[in-house]
Amino acid sequence: MEMISFNIVAYVTMILWLAGCLFIVFGKKGNILTISGNIMVFAGALLLIAYLVILWINLERPPLRILGETRLWYAVLLPVVGIAIYLRHGYKWFLYYSLFMASVFLVINITKPENFDKTLMPALQSPWFVPHVIVYMISYALLGASSYVAARGLYFQYYRQPKPESLKISDNIIFTGFAFLTLGLVFGALWAKEAWGHYWTWDPKETWAMLTWLSYLIYIHFRYRHPQKTTSALWIIALAFVVLLICWLGINYLSVAENSVHTYSGQ
Amino acid sequence: MTTINKKRQFWQYPWSYREGFLIAIALVIAGFAIGYVIDKEVKAITFPENLVTGGVIILLLLITHLFFRKHEFVKWIASVPAAISAISAYAFLVLLMGFIRQNPEESSEFLNRTGLSHLTSSQAFLFAQMYFLVTLGMVTLKRIIPFKTKNIGFMLNHLGLWITIAAASLGAGDIQRVSMEINDREPVFVGTDQQGNMLDDMGLAIQLIDFKMESYPPKAFIVDRESGDILNLKNVFSLEMGARGNILGWEVEVVDFIEFGVGVGDKFHKVYDVGAAPAAYVTAKKDDKKLEGWISCGSFRFPGNFLDLGGNELLVMDRPAPKSFVSEVKIYTEDEEVFETEIAVNSPVTVNGWKIYQYDYNHDMGDWSDISVIELIKDPWLPVVYTGIFMLMAGAFYMFWTGNRKKTE
Repeated sequence: MEMISFNIVAYVTMILWLAGCLFIVFGKKGNILTISGNIMVFAGALLLIAYLVILWINLERPPLRILGETRLWYAVLLPVVGIAIYLRHGYKWFLYYSLFMASVFLVINITKPENFDKTLMPALQSPWFVPHVIVYMISYALLGASSYVAARGLYFQYYRQPKPESLKISDNIIFTGFAFLTLGLVFGALWAKEAWGHYWTWDPKETWAMLTWLSYLIYIHFRYRHPQKTTSALWIIALAFVVLLICWLGINYLSVAENSVHTYSGQ
Repeated sequence: MTTINKKRQFWQYPWSYREGFLIAIALVIAGFAIGYVIDKEVKAITFPENLVTGGVIILLLLITHLFFRKHEFVKWIASVPAAISAISAYAFLVLLMGFIRQNPEESSEFLNRTGLSHLTSSQAFLFAQMYFLVTLGMVTLKRIIPFKTKNIGFMLNHLGLWITIAAASLGAGDIQRVSMEINDREPVFVGTDQQGNMLDDMGLAIQLIDFKMESYPPKAFIVDRESGDILNLKNVFSLEMGARGNILGWEVEVVDFIEFGVGVGDKFHKVYDVGAAPAAYVTAKKDDKKLEGWISCGSFRFPGNFLDLGGNELLVMDRPAPKSFVSEVKIYTEDEEVFETEIAVNSPVTVNGWKIYQYDYNHDMGDWSDISVIELIKDPWLPVVYTGIFMLMAGAFYMFWTGNRKKTE
């Protein structure tokens, strides 16, 4: 797969999203502008999904091995979450956020092309590979979305009128995201037993994954006990997302993780 | 006692976060201090001590719940503030693990004595885990005795986690890992455990019939003549018959490709012999320069070849990356069973309670290797851990189903 075609797909997708968002901004509920905007946003996401499918076929392996590929998945799944929540609840700002974040990831992949290499080491050739990573990417997309809700909530908390209902949205997203996070962790453990002989070895990635899981666990318990304390809850989401980012992207830069089985550099 | 809400003294019931975090901090500090003073790591207990310990813990938690659940302390230990302090203590130690290299051999004396360089076998970790299991255990008992069906999701998540962590910790001492180098000459029944002890009581003997390895097409790299650095890491070119592409401005084309070849002079010939290596006849064009020749990665037996592109650049072939490696083996068991099977990465074989894994091979000889390293692993607590893990999975599906609707309870 040549990176050229990726760039074209990414640019077309982002133009569709941008145009679609502008249409939605100026459109009124149910009129032709909004509907065309919705269609463009959809078309952009579908184009990206189609590219991912073709990439998968061309590579002859699941495109889930290197960081650039997981960013691509994120750029596909985040708009799916965004569009679903937009259609379900009508939150336009949520759609803009998810499309913006997905575009950021597309731009990173354009500016930092990593080779789409066909080799897949034997340890990764497992039926667990696809469910493990996709479940994680769905979870990351949901939890990333919740972090935006939290940032927005904190902004309103400190500079405008507090909006307690923003936590209701993030609660729903985090519950679902946490369930996926649990499944990702557990699938990883079951896979590790088959591949490396033990289900948990405190590999640096596992350590940070456990930390991410514990952070959201704290959030869920805190919300359960103190539904009224919204500011603290919003801060917990923000911190938990920092941990998630270190686990996903920062781990490659940590010196402790040199020998991790999970450091997916381009080679 | 009238000012309970606002000016409650420390350690005056009902307890809350302050007490929880103080207990957590005290446990962690005490753990590190004890570790430093006694200078010993926590040894995993083995059967039957671990089973007895597990039984005693469960019994104590049950007695506490059944007879003292009205006590303020017991009420508190099963509360969210206690839970959050316990999760935080545990998370704090995991955070340290995320930043401090867990390798006692390369760490300072201070890190080794406190246990910071081997946190999972430190006293602090043991104490934090105990605190975690006590709070989690007490809240679980509170919700499942007496049992109500509406608490099923709660039970799956909490009891599942308790079983997973308790069984993984208590069972750790019973895990046996034995590596064994097998060959195609005779059955091997002796292996080495992780401490370097020779073991021969596995009740198995294994002989290698054939070690089979498949590889991906080798990659072409342009390397710097002086430093040996690869210059085109981000621009991979796979050497296959007819492949064309651009590497650092060079138009490269593979005119001929031999999977098993041996070089004679400047030319490579198709030869299927021990140590034969892939070779490719390539042309490389840049501006008005055109070069061609054989490149090969060579092997333990035959030398390779590269194409000199002039300047400081050399076009070389990388050793092919393994696609799969499989040991075809014959296994003899104690009860005189003999059978043949295949052991591959990601597909271990189970025999008499041992899971047998493909572990390593002779990297120099690859497909031509007459040995293979396998690993035999026994983990008698695995079914218990998996029970917990499957409860957690079921609990996660339950969360999809109900979302956070139950929060209003």
